[in-house]
Amino acid sequence: MTAVPPAPKHRRDGGSASGRDPASGGPAEPAADDRDPQERPGLARERTTLAWTRTAIAFAALGGVVLKENVITGLIILGIAPLVWQLGRLPRGDSPSGLAVVGTTRIRLITVSIVAVALLALLVAVFGHSVPGALR
Amino acid sequence: MSWSGRLAGLLPRAAAGRDGDDDGTEPDPRFTFANERTFLAWSRTSLALVVAGLGIVQLLPPFPGVPFGRHVLGVPLIVLGAVLAVVAYGEWVRNQRALRHGEPLPRSLMPWILAATIAGMAVISAIVLLVSAIR
Repeated sequence: MTAVPPAPKHRRDGGSASGRDPASGGPAEPAADDRDPQERPGLARERTTLAWTRTAIAFAALGGVVLKENVITGLIILGIAPLVWQLGRLPRGDSPSGLAVVGTTRIRLITVSIVAVALLALLVAVFGHSVPGALR
Repeated sequence: MSWSGRLAGLLPRAAAGRDGDDDGTEPDPRFTFANERTFLAWSRTSLALVVAGLGIVQLLPPFPGVPFGRHVLGVPLIVLGAVLAVVAYGEWVRNQRALRHGEPLPRSLMPWILAATIAGMAVISAIVLLVSAIR
């Protein structure tokens, strides 16, 4: 087990680049800029946004695969992709850190979407017209 | 108003105390983001399993002598994709709750589920291929 260093003092804006505390309009803590760039929440936010983008691309890829077998189902899955991308760009709400307000809802939406897509894929797999040997 | 703003307006607000999202204290945002990224990574794994299952059923040539061979291999992968997505949601909730209460993170079952299922699928694949080769 590696020891986890103590977390730096919490920045409640999740890492804004403005250098000002959005709640009070005053200056941000001076120690915030001294942190290692890897530890800034702003970069964590960016990595998370990129993760949402990759997830949207995964939906689009699945939609493309299904599109070859079943046009309507494929278009439905393709339509989910931009929605997922937008979900990742949602403002994080007006809670103190802005993280909790729509967090659960969008995570739940992604879960429901994947289960629905899996059910659609199951229907296509069982009842759809197959192209045997396409990967031969 | 931007599309993001409109979409945010459509989403219901999280109910207080439900799913461990509003109780406890706000953790370091980096931990919350990391939890979200982990969930998204498992979601992409789920989608990859669905694609793999669909590809096996729809695109692979039939196994001679094993009429339902492609379905035996592909359908469980698609089902596993759906199961994994639901379990990932549960893990996200549990982790978020632990973070908000300053508790140790719960042990994840998902790597075990994934490894066991992939190993099982490998065994089934070998059996299907052997039966197909013998017949």
